[in-house]
Amino acid sequence: MASRWADTEADRAEADRRKKEKEEKKRAKLAKQQAEQEAAARTQQEAQEAADDRPAKRRRLSPSPEREAPVPEERKLLRFEAGGWGPCRHVSNFETLNHIEEGSYGWVSRAKETATGEVVALKKVKMDYLGDGFPITALREISVLQKARHKNVVDLKEVVMGDGLDEVVLVMEFLEHDLKTLQEDMPEPFLASEVKTLLRQLASAVDFLHENHIMHRDLKTSNILLNNRGALKLADFGMARIIPPPNAPLTQLVVTLWYRAPELLLGTTSYGTEVDMWSIGCIFGELLAKEPILQGKNEVDELSRIFELCGLPNDKTWPEFYRLPNAKSLKLPRDPKNPGSAIRLKFPFLTNAGTELLTTLLSLNPDHRPTAKEMLAHPYFSENPKPKPAEMFPTFPSKAGQEKRRKRSPNAPKRGDAPGMGAGEIDFSSIFSGREEEQKGAGFSLRMG
Amino acid sequence: MQPSPLANPLATVQQLQTSASQLDGIPADLEDSIRFAGARLTQAVGILLRLPQEIIAQAIIVFMRFLVGPEGGSLARHGAEDVSMGAMYLATKLSAWPKSARSVINVYAYLNTFAPTFIDAEELGKKQNAEDYYVSEGTFQIRRGKLFEMEQVILKTVGFQLQVSLPYSLCITYLQALDIFAHPRASELANRANAHLNTALLSPQLLYLTHQPPTLAAAAIYLAAKEVAIKLPDVEWWEVFDTDREELGFLVVGLLSVESFAVEERSRWEGMRVPMAVDELDEEIKRRAAADGEE
Repeated sequence: MASRWADTEADRAEADRRKKEKEEKKRAKLAKQQAEQEAAARTQQEAQEAADDRPAKRRRLSPSPEREAPVPEERKLLRFEAGGWGPCRHVSNFETLNHIEEGSYGWVSRAKETATGEVVALKKVKMDYLGDGFPITALREISVLQKARHKNVVDLKEVVMGDGLDEVVLVMEFLEHDLKTLQEDMPEPFLASEVKTLLRQLASAVDFLHENHIMHRDLKTSNILLNNRGALKLADFGMARIIPPPNAPLTQLVVTLWYRAPELLLGTTSYGTEVDMWSIGCIFGELLAKEPILQGKNEVDELSRIFELCGLPNDKTWPEFYRLPNAKSLKLPRDPKNPGSAIRLKFPFLTNAGTELLTTLLSLNPDHRPTAKEMLAHPYFSENPKPKPAEMFPTFPSKAGQEKRRKRSPNAPKRGDAPGMGAGEIDFSSIFSGREEEQKGAGFSLRMG
Repeated sequence: MQPSPLANPLATVQQLQTSASQLDGIPADLEDSIRFAGARLTQAVGILLRLPQEIIAQAIIVFMRFLVGPEGGSLARHGAEDVSMGAMYLATKLSAWPKSARSVINVYAYLNTFAPTFIDAEELGKKQNAEDYYVSEGTFQIRRGKLFEMEQVILKTVGFQLQVSLPYSLCITYLQALDIFAHPRASELANRANAHLNTALLSPQLLYLTHQPPTLAAAAIYLAAKEVAIKLPDVEWWEVFDTDREELGFLVVGLLSVESFAVEERSRWEGMRVPMAVDELDEEIKRRAAADGEE
């Protein structure tokens, strides 16, 4: 059986042609080289030295038909580096400066590396021995952060351990603020240009994650860090996971309630990166309004607030809606007066492009939400006011650097919490009763761009 | 910098020079035997757990990473079976096919009932007496505690470096790039290449700890093409896949040598058990010392 690569008449002709081409190229290259030599003799010399380092003769692996080989050109092969491994260092290499916060996953504090004086954030993993050994959330967070090196994702420097095996501490870069605390302390909301800078960095982080098959699943303002140079970084990957192969069931117990997409609230087990895009929509709204826009008290209340803001789903906008597990127990208003979106009313100062972006991010139907890449290309980011350059970003006094104090906001759901919407029928008939009041004039704002 | 998704962390020269096991007085040849048996055990467990080969390969690589270098884990302190179990549990945990501690412990208990280390693959599936490998609740609790401790020892020793990039899908991509699949015997070539990639997991030269996936894939293709006599392009095609001639040559020789190593191991341990636990290892070393004394 002759192989595709066996020599044939045509092959030979082709080889001749290629050889000629190569020689032509070599001649061109030589001429170029000479020109370069005259221009920069020193660089040429260095290249020569590098070439001299190469082994002069190379072993042939197998006898192959003698060809009239052209003089081998210098070929640069790509080298891939991924470091090495070694045992974890001891936590005593770091000196704790102050406590920042305690979350469901562990304790975060600000610390200094004794040897270098570098200030870092330490996150101590809470060990819950639920019969699964090392907490899967911490394991996932570490493995995701090791993969996700991006300028808008918090940098995991190393993992250190204490005396016992059960003291595991993540060493991460320290950032002065988180968006939630920062906004609570600001007298005025961010300017439109600042919102754009923040949102664009957030979208580029999420785009990077999604490109690398990672879902964050807990995007919210308290997980978004900001330093005093206007750089935004995504943190807290305890809920994140690699997108599994199709049909693997996923838990719908993800994403903090106020940022949770409607399909999750309705109990879907097959969802994708769209849940992160919904959360970005919530964050966008929050940056504009200076407070979370969908502060539901429980799953049912959250869903009703969503419908209030975004309108009700119908067969046309979201055909799959009625097939979701929890949709059956919902009683939706039969003849809603105003089923459309109230986003424009709620954010009167947002431009048309901005409103369009926010509305599509907060589409009930996950398929209608833009991807992070589509979002980055949205006209909202190119129209005036332009995103403010990060260097021009205002600085703020850092609370994380000094003291802890935080208001209660719901945490990401824990494993074992009962999913679902509670028993019985849930009546949403009256959710639009307050609409008339909202329709009063939009007023105007002097504080733009 | 974003690490390349094609790259693996590699062992340093220092890590390859000596190991904690050797520093604890375990002869290098015995260490090789135990590592080989441990990798084979991990592979067998993975098959019985019905795991995809990617997960099994990851477990074997983590097993190997744990045991290299003076700061690595020592077989004098951690039995190879325990290390294999910890590595396997960790690999499945991060995957889309998590296995319960119960399943993992059961499978190891089952395989442990085969007395000699080298058995035929056919025997694996047919074990007669269920009582032999039954794990009682009390035993299970003890072993689970041990497994969770091993898990953390592994994490600590490898510095949480569980990331593994594998050459399997790269290998297929490269074959496509070489336009092999137009050939009628292309699947034969692909199978051979995959088999070589599996073989490399068992190599005493720790090929997955010393070479990057593109290079492993190129070498497996090179060797497989020679074996099934399919002609590859008459140029240095491996350079397109970031492999230079030296590396290719080294890996081809390395891959070929695994077979003779395996045959040697098999005859050496014929009817015997490679020491997979700390106490078995102690006995083996004593036995060797006694044998040396007689001579």
